[in-house]
Amino acid sequence: MTDRFSPGTRAAALTLLVGLACVIFAPLAPWLVKWPAALTVPATEWIGAVVTWLADALKPLARMGARALSWPMDWAGWALIQTPFPLTIGAVTALGWHLGGWRMAAGVLAGLGFVLISGYWAPGMTTLSLVAVSVPLALLAGGVTGIVAYKLPALRRPIHVLLDVMQTVPTFAYLTPLLLLLGFGPVVGLIASAIYAAPPIARNVLLGLERVDPDIREAAAMNGANPWQQLFLIELPTASRQIWVGVNQTIMAALSMVIIAAVIGGFDDIGWAVLLTMRKADFGNSLVAGLVIVIFAMLIDRLSGKLAETRPVYSARITWVILALTVICTLIAARHLPASNAINLLGGVTDWMNATLGRFIAAYGPLLNAIKTNAMIYLLLPLRIGFDHAVTPMTWGFQWSAPISAAYFAVAALLAAWLGWRGRLLAALVLLLAAGVLKLGITHLPWPFVLFGAGALGWVAGGRGLAAYAVILLAIILVMGLWEPALLSLYLSGTAVLICAVVGGLIGLLSALSPAMWRVVRPICDLLQTIPMFVFLIPVLMFFQIGEFSALLAICSYAVVPMIRYTRQGLVSTPEDQVEAAISSGANRRALLTEVRLPYAAPVILLGLNQTILYAFSMLVIAALIGTTDLGQQIYLALGQGDVGLGVAAGAAMAMLALVADRLVQGFARKQSEALGLE
Amino acid sequence: MKRPQATALAAIAGLSISFAQAAELGAVDEPIKLAVNEWTGQQITTRIAGHMLEQAGYKVQYVTAGYQNMWQAMSDGDLDAAVEVWASNVPQGYHQLHDAGKLEDLGALGLDAREGFVYPAYMEETCPGLPDWQALAECAASFATVETLPEGRLLDYPGEWGTPGADRIKALGLPFRAIPAGSEGALVAEFRAATAQNAPLLAVFWQPHWAIGAFDLRFAALPEGTEECYSDPAAGPNPDVTGDCDFIPTRVFKAAWPGMKEKWPAAHEILSNLTLSVEQQQPLMGAVDVDGRQTPEVVAEWLAANESAWRPIVDAAVE
Repeated sequence: MTDRFSPGTRAAALTLLVGLACVIFAPLAPWLVKWPAALTVPATEWIGAVVTWLADALKPLARMGARALSWPMDWAGWALIQTPFPLTIGAVTALGWHLGGWRMAAGVLAGLGFVLISGYWAPGMTTLSLVAVSVPLALLAGGVTGIVAYKLPALRRPIHVLLDVMQTVPTFAYLTPLLLLLGFGPVVGLIASAIYAAPPIARNVLLGLERVDPDIREAAAMNGANPWQQLFLIELPTASRQIWVGVNQTIMAALSMVIIAAVIGGFDDIGWAVLLTMRKADFGNSLVAGLVIVIFAMLIDRLSGKLAETRPVYSARITWVILALTVICTLIAARHLPASNAINLLGGVTDWMNATLGRFIAAYGPLLNAIKTNAMIYLLLPLRIGFDHAVTPMTWGFQWSAPISAAYFAVAALLAAWLGWRGRLLAALVLLLAAGVLKLGITHLPWPFVLFGAGALGWVAGGRGLAAYAVILLAIILVMGLWEPALLSLYLSGTAVLICAVVGGLIGLLSALSPAMWRVVRPICDLLQTIPMFVFLIPVLMFFQIGEFSALLAICSYAVVPMIRYTRQGLVSTPEDQVEAAISSGANRRALLTEVRLPYAAPVILLGLNQTILYAFSMLVIAALIGTTDLGQQIYLALGQGDVGLGVAAGAAMAMLALVADRLVQGFARKQSEALGLE
Repeated sequence: MKRPQATALAAIAGLSISFAQAAELGAVDEPIKLAVNEWTGQQITTRIAGHMLEQAGYKVQYVTAGYQNMWQAMSDGDLDAAVEVWASNVPQGYHQLHDAGKLEDLGALGLDAREGFVYPAYMEETCPGLPDWQALAECAASFATVETLPEGRLLDYPGEWGTPGADRIKALGLPFRAIPAGSEGALVAEFRAATAQNAPLLAVFWQPHWAIGAFDLRFAALPEGTEECYSDPAAGPNPDVTGDCDFIPTRVFKAAWPGMKEKWPAAHEILSNLTLSVEQQQPLMGAVDVDGRQTPEVVAEWLAANESAWRPIVDAAVE
């Protein structure tokens, strides 16, 4: 190797050599493909022992905390359920008027009206009582963490890692220890929701504080403010805009986790309703129950969002009129109104939805089946088990054999040679690598090849440190004995990310070009991100049956959203002067897109890809409810067997895969930014 | 295949008949917390049990609880009893706590649960030999999908309930491949989709369940599940292995916090003597899951109309 070759080319060449060596020596040394069981450390047992011991030691303290937290939640629940529903609806509508005028008031009225007629008013209020405690808890814990990270720069790195872990380890993985620690009941769900919801506020507090103008800070110091006065009187208010972004995201995250509280049980909330309907595969009712959560999320989000904006003053008189009307209505109607749980006006609608779904399947069953069969045969099976196992007379109509293999590689080599001759050596090497991976299948890849490949990617993206990070994390998974389910997870989420990148990128591009398209796409994105994903499992399952294809679709439907959002965002936010300069120098629409907008948007799009990766991994646990055998399923097995260690280990392995993928993409994004001179 | 044996032994142990006798009521001021799990049958049984306890003079609190995660809570006394526990899918945690004396088995519920391979009735036209299990071997191809080709596809229980389907097709030498369903909802969604388009389906499933009636599911006749079949390889069609036969009927039982006997002696006795048959439970399940009525209302009607079925148990415990 000489310096003529770029680092990427050298890394790809070395990876290819390692892969070749593995394939050649695999028949002689089977341990190259399958990690020997003898070298697997019983990590799950150790983790189990440590976690159980810790949980037992901390139990008395934690139970006390749990009891303390359950009081405010019980009060909030009691107050929300005892308040007559006209009063609640009227008061929130008045708040809507006060914050956002008629539009907001109408939105509140329509949203809460839907909750009322859906028949889920009381469970909905129970859910709100949980959110009412978990959100302030998350805001407090996250806010303090953010301030600590700001004040003590030495702690920033460990805090970032902690926040990543909090967001990527699936809650189901540590549910059993959490139950041991906190005892039975909704407090477990509350804590789980707070753990998941705290990172956004912590990150945004830190980011906001870091961005405070140094001049403001100096002015405060010169006026004799001590550091705490400076923080609370100057810096935090200055950063308030960024902090509000975090508040909104924390609210969203907390609401997306209410379903966890239901899995444990302990109180009759909306998540429990979703679970019961999911168990009956009753799509209509599960959609209605899921929409109730979406409505809560959107109302809290929009209302709190208005708080952060400078907004016009709406007449206080009208606020009072609405409140007065509310009280009068409540008093007059008190005798005549039915109890909230006796109202259910959507029964006909849900029945109709279920019947329509049935008719659709009866009519298009063969078509849906053909889609699934083709996707399985030509895409998923080769990716998972490789051409040499996927190509059989049953599927492709012929058997994969040695001559076909030779021809396949000959074609790949010819293409690579042509690319190399054109001077695109890196592309040639990547093509060869891809050909090899497709032949073997992701789940049959030799582990030295995967480790080396990840290390090489890390080295190219971020130097030696990142390479070591990637290799060490993957090696831990290997040694813990979770390699096979981990490769399956990698295959499922990797394929999903690939599909999301292409489909989401295209939709994002079209949405950027056509505002009309974006008006249609945007509400769909909102819905997909806030509705409990359990709801979508039912139609996906009914269309495509239990199996990988359904799991893949479920993952994609959630993970595609950030790709769409960020692609569009990046493309439409190209600075106008750059666009104008390009136009005046004679660029047409096409050139404008490919040569100005796309390069500028690249870092943002890569950030979207990074979010898509994290989302895809986080969906693996939900997809396991369809019936996969990857790490997500290991977590459910651990729950069933009460195996604390396996649950935590599988959750950690999933987080490690996500973190490695995330850091690699971030590394490439940073390089791209630097190349464009953006940082 | 440890489970069916353990189940059968437990069933025999459960047969010891307890003679009813009057007991102290105990702490009537404190509510007895009954676990309400995720499925309708359990909710019906729980409401019936709760009503009986109320008639005896107790306060009852219905607490929603995840079936998989509630056992630690019950051993701590945060929950007092669960009145419909299925031996076939109770998590390992229950057995660990029960063996450690932290949970009490209150005896069989008498729900004669059946598990087995089910298929929609129209499959008997596609595969005329059904319900005989040997027909499955011949028609395997008609049950195949792209993931299982050339073998047939059998939907198995969710992974955390064990792999009874995979074990049986292996023991019986059936050319099928078991695909674990991720959840009960996934199984039901498959039934819905398959029956909507008369598509082939074979799954491991259980009765009593509303889906059996709603989708007209039938059980395949596997070789009879006996004690010997699970202990002696010679029994059953495959001479080399055990477990080459149908499920042994699952024991459905009641479990409680061990402190219950001291705290509420009469309640302990009522729950111990509580029984419910499939014939009693199944119509109630249909009223809830198929007709869409509310569980408390359906149960209240049944309790009023069938006082003779439950009143004697309450009277025997308190008088």
